[in-house]
Amino acid sequence: MTSGSESGTKPGRGLIGLLLVIVPVALFAWMTVWPILSGITRALSPEQPDGTRALSISNFAEFFSDPYSLANLGVTLWTCLVTLGLLLVICVPLALYLRFAQGKLATYVQTMAMFPMFVPSIILAFAFIRVLGPNGSVDLLLNAVGLPKIRSPYLTPWGPVIGLVWDNIPLTVLILVSGLGSVTNYAIEAARDVGARPLALFWYIILPRMWTSVAVVVSFTMLGLFSAFTLPYVLGPASPEMMGPFMQRTFGDLRDPDMALTQATVTMLFCVAFGLFYVRAVARNRGK
Amino acid sequence: MSKALPLRRRTDWVGILFAVALTVVILVPMLVVITWSFANVWRFPSVLPQQFGLKFWQMTLARSDVWSAFGLSLTLSAVVTAISAAICLPAAYAFARMEFPGRNVLFFSFLAGQAFPKFGLLVAIAAIFLQLNLIATFWGVVLIQLVGTLLFMIWIPVAAFQAVDRRMEEAARDAGAGPLRVFWSITLPQASPTIFSAILLSFVGTFYETEGAWLIGAPQIRTMPVLMISFINNQPVIQYGAVLSVLLWIPSLIALVFTRRVVNSGSFARGFGG
Repeated sequence: MTSGSESGTKPGRGLIGLLLVIVPVALFAWMTVWPILSGITRALSPEQPDGTRALSISNFAEFFSDPYSLANLGVTLWTCLVTLGLLLVICVPLALYLRFAQGKLATYVQTMAMFPMFVPSIILAFAFIRVLGPNGSVDLLLNAVGLPKIRSPYLTPWGPVIGLVWDNIPLTVLILVSGLGSVTNYAIEAARDVGARPLALFWYIILPRMWTSVAVVVSFTMLGLFSAFTLPYVLGPASPEMMGPFMQRTFGDLRDPDMALTQATVTMLFCVAFGLFYVRAVARNRGK
Repeated sequence: MSKALPLRRRTDWVGILFAVALTVVILVPMLVVITWSFANVWRFPSVLPQQFGLKFWQMTLARSDVWSAFGLSLTLSAVVTAISAAICLPAAYAFARMEFPGRNVLFFSFLAGQAFPKFGLLVAIAAIFLQLNLIATFWGVVLIQLVGTLLFMIWIPVAAFQAVDRRMEEAARDAGAGPLRVFWSITLPQASPTIFSAILLSFVGTFYETEGAWLIGAPQIRTMPVLMISFINNQPVIQYGAVLSVLLWIPSLIALVFTRRVVNSGSFARGFGG
């Protein structure tokens, strides 16, 4: 948002500009700002027996004293942490490789790493079941060489983890590679000239410049994972379930919007720090 | 891992390792799905189908629920993208080129939605739609999917309008062209490739949007991804799901071909905070 200041100083143009943006801004306010405010208000003011609403934290007390809700929150946190850990273990080396490697092989690796972006998660879920599910391709191959079948991760907490890692590889790699752009070849060569070994190079030159993009990946991924729906719903266990399917079931099947809003508020609270950090990072990049 | 960093000339073992691992993990599952869709008979424990053929393509394409879901998904995507373009592109032009009170605040306000876990936000919207009787209606799903396209359809075109060469516009104006003529003949042609990418991404993204359609549209509004979920959960014949997956994938492959340049450019990663 740097250009534009030189134009449109004529009186009246300001009004036209405002008119042009008013529809999307109003739609956004009505469909994002208002639902969040109203949702949190409703969760904080449960309906009394006489039909009125009064300020109370009883919905939250109910959530945090219900073992099933807590188990769901626990499995969500577990899934987030395990998925995030696996993503970093896979994607940091991959991003380092893509930053420094050249040639056809590196192009191929990059194409493969970006490929999941173009596979809708519902197709991924189907492929997962056909490969790792009962009597899937892995079982077929093991059986063909006389080995026992695997204990399938389908419908266990590992199902969503594997699916979510797969799904999140492209954006994680993109963000990390983009962050590694601040490590110049010049800095690497200079360090190597004074005798830095690869590990020292990574530790002292590359890692300090990676922290910001790692933090962006962490917050972006946490926001996505905490409210993931499709993959946990299709691949995960029925109980305990992650917050996404839990909210959907509370809203759609149990027809209890107040409790669903309470669950939504809890997920928002858990993500508030990640959300603020992520938005700040995006705004700063755009402001450049 | 750190051994990969030196730029020495030698066999790129790390690259080979990554290439093989990613091929097995990413490409092979897709090939399995494609194989299933062409398997007339595939019983355990055979490693390959006993009989290949197009039997299940014919059977899937003869199902009326597939065609109605496909038609609904196309209609939804077209309506959402058209409305989104109609309201977002003028706004993008205003954000890029005009000066008005609150411009920066409003521009960055679209980011606020990204600070919340998406499904939590969807539940909050659904609670409001419940009061407005928009649950399980076509327009309810249109609205929720429309909101999902706003950020994309404003931010990408703003960058496109900002990248237009101002000197060419001024030259045209000096030559006597009116503002509308300048917009149609100079500004729009230069910005249109990027705007086209944004429109395509919004169409494809809406086509695959699952969570809003499932939460707001169920049970009446059955889009392709929603139908796919029910095939996974309730359909004992595996091949139906496999054929539907391959069909469902086609729009994404088209998007892959047309938007690869946008995705591979650094600005795309920066758009996600990278």
